[in-house]
Amino acid sequence: MTTAKIPILEVQKLTKYFGGLAAVKDVSFEVRAGQIFGFIGPNGAGKTTLFSMIAGAVRPSAGKIRSRGVEITGVSPFRLVKAGIARTHQIVRPFREMTVLENVQVAAHFGRKPVRSPSAAKERAMQVLVSVGLDALADNPASILSVGNQKRLEIARALATTPDLLLCDEICGGLTHSETAAMLQLLRRIRDGGMTVMYVEHDVKAITAVCDRILVLNYGRKLAEGTPDHIQNDPAVIEAYLGTKAAGRS
Amino acid sequence: MSATSATLPARRMAGWAMTALPWILLAILAILPLLVPSPNFTRLLFMTFLWTTTSIAWNLLGGFAGQVSFGFAVFYGAGAYTTALLMNAGVNPLFAFLAAGLTAALVSLIVGLPAFRLRGPYFAIATIGISEAVRVVMTNLSFTGGASGYRILEHRPFRQLEHYYTALLLAAIAFAISWKIAHSKFGLGLKAIRQDEDAAADLGVNPYTYKLAAHALAAALTGMAGGVFARYAAFIHPGGVFGFHTSVHILLMPVIGGIGTVWGPVLGGFVFGIVEEEIVASFPEIHLLLYGLLLIVIILFEPGGILGGLRKLVRRFRDHR
Ligand SMILES: Nc1ncnc2c1ncn2[C@@H]1O[C@H](COP(=O)(O)OP(=O)(O)O)[C@@H](O)[C@H]1O
Ligand SMILES: [Mg+2]
Repeated sequence: MTTAKIPILEVQKLTKYFGGLAAVKDVSFEVRAGQIFGFIGPNGAGKTTLFSMIAGAVRPSAGKIRSRGVEITGVSPFRLVKAGIARTHQIVRPFREMTVLENVQVAAHFGRKPVRSPSAAKERAMQVLVSVGLDALADNPASILSVGNQKRLEIARALATTPDLLLCDEICGGLTHSETAAMLQLLRRIRDGGMTVMYVEHDVKAITAVCDRILVLNYGRKLAEGTPDHIQNDPAVIEAYLGTKAAGRS
Repeated sequence: MSATSATLPARRMAGWAMTALPWILLAILAILPLLVPSPNFTRLLFMTFLWTTTSIAWNLLGGFAGQVSFGFAVFYGAGAYTTALLMNAGVNPLFAFLAAGLTAALVSLIVGLPAFRLRGPYFAIATIGISEAVRVVMTNLSFTGGASGYRILEHRPFRQLEHYYTALLLAAIAFAISWKIAHSKFGLGLKAIRQDEDAAADLGVNPYTYKLAAHALAAALTGMAGGVFARYAAFIHPGGVFGFHTSVHILLMPVIGGIGTVWGPVLGGFVFGIVEEEIVASFPEIHLLLYGLLLIVIILFEPGGILGGLRKLVRRFRDHR
């Protein structure tokens, strides 16, 4: 096998129980470098839990996670950041007592290519803020940002760790149409810059518009996986998730 | 929010003033005992410097990193006893102080390795338990005299000013470290941990080692303060240096002054150092109770301490013009 063929992420029979409830059960998939890989599924399907296991915040009950062939199951979040895996939070977690710039500065200081000097870290943080369109708000306290901008800040912080695998959890939740369009454009730009993106979204339209490949979760289990076209025409998906509207059309 | 161009020179002036302030203060404190040659006054300032050192030290962990410890007496006492034992063995005081800092830092690892597995209030409670356990052990340790204490025999004439300048230097070092950390990568990492430990870890910060490092640095400074105190007092006992009230004092000062800031712990240290003996003398039975009440009042009404209150006043004054 050449290195190009080794998936950037390989998940095998990943399972997480909370008490008796299987939030994620026997989920397996592979993510190739350079893709936007999407996850859809109704609320409570286990998407966030899946991301938290990959990012190291939640320890799997069973199963394996490999990144470029190296096992990373149960590795701490800060080590995974150094290995190039960064995530955003569905429920935003800004450092509220810091400015927007300082929030991103933390990531520049401690990410995969750590910067020691505060001025250099600020400089890199500012570049990232420009790229996500938050530069005008750099000196504001993070606590006063709108929901949409807090989601952007989540992405900015993750990007400033210079990952090669970015996990985005519902970054369009609560955004207007135009804000969503801008966010999806940002994801495409990130992918075209050479990063691999894993993207969870509630909104099927957003996911199908931007993803190269999609995995559908239902009650913690993998229901289907494939290209957006394939997923939209899969009878099991139509029945379980896309619902009667899509089924009626076919 | 943003600065207009008109206020920029004023801001730069304020910046210079803040840079010059520590040096001016240091110069004044250096000549003060020569201008006011009173042994009582000198002793009061000497103790104030030691308290301020521990206040700054506690703030590194409790203020910057948000890890509230009720166990700093362990480090103060460890430093005091290390210095006392070494000086009686004939070691030069300077080396004894450094050894005190080192011992306290090692002790901080023994405390921190298990305690930092706990978070928030559970960590705070663990530090109380450890601190009391250490005090009980020291009370029963026969080779240091147990509860009846330990005496230091120094075969050199007592020169109060030597003690004074040692304490001043230590406080100045503590301040310099605190200032440096507040403007560094390390400090930003600690602040991130204080605000959201898990979010910090998701950006590459290792919360566990960062807390251990801040704890060790704080313990080293506190241990050296304990050592300088032991040499001055020439007599120490577990109920004093290892006492729970010592932990409470050390925590109270940064809270009074303004937690998580560079100047707050200094302010708190000076206020506390100057009034402490008076309070203990006036209310020998209930002074800890008074401190407890003071803590509650500050946390309820002005969590920013004196510095936070002053900043609010300045802002209000500016807005009214
Ligand atoms: N920390 C937790 N403790 C207990 N149950 C949890 C926890 N996190 C998630 N769950 C449960 O696991 C299931 C999957 O949740 P989640 O991964 O957040 O789904 P999604 O992101 O797809 O909406 C839900 O039933 C949720 O209630
Ligand atoms: Mg979710």
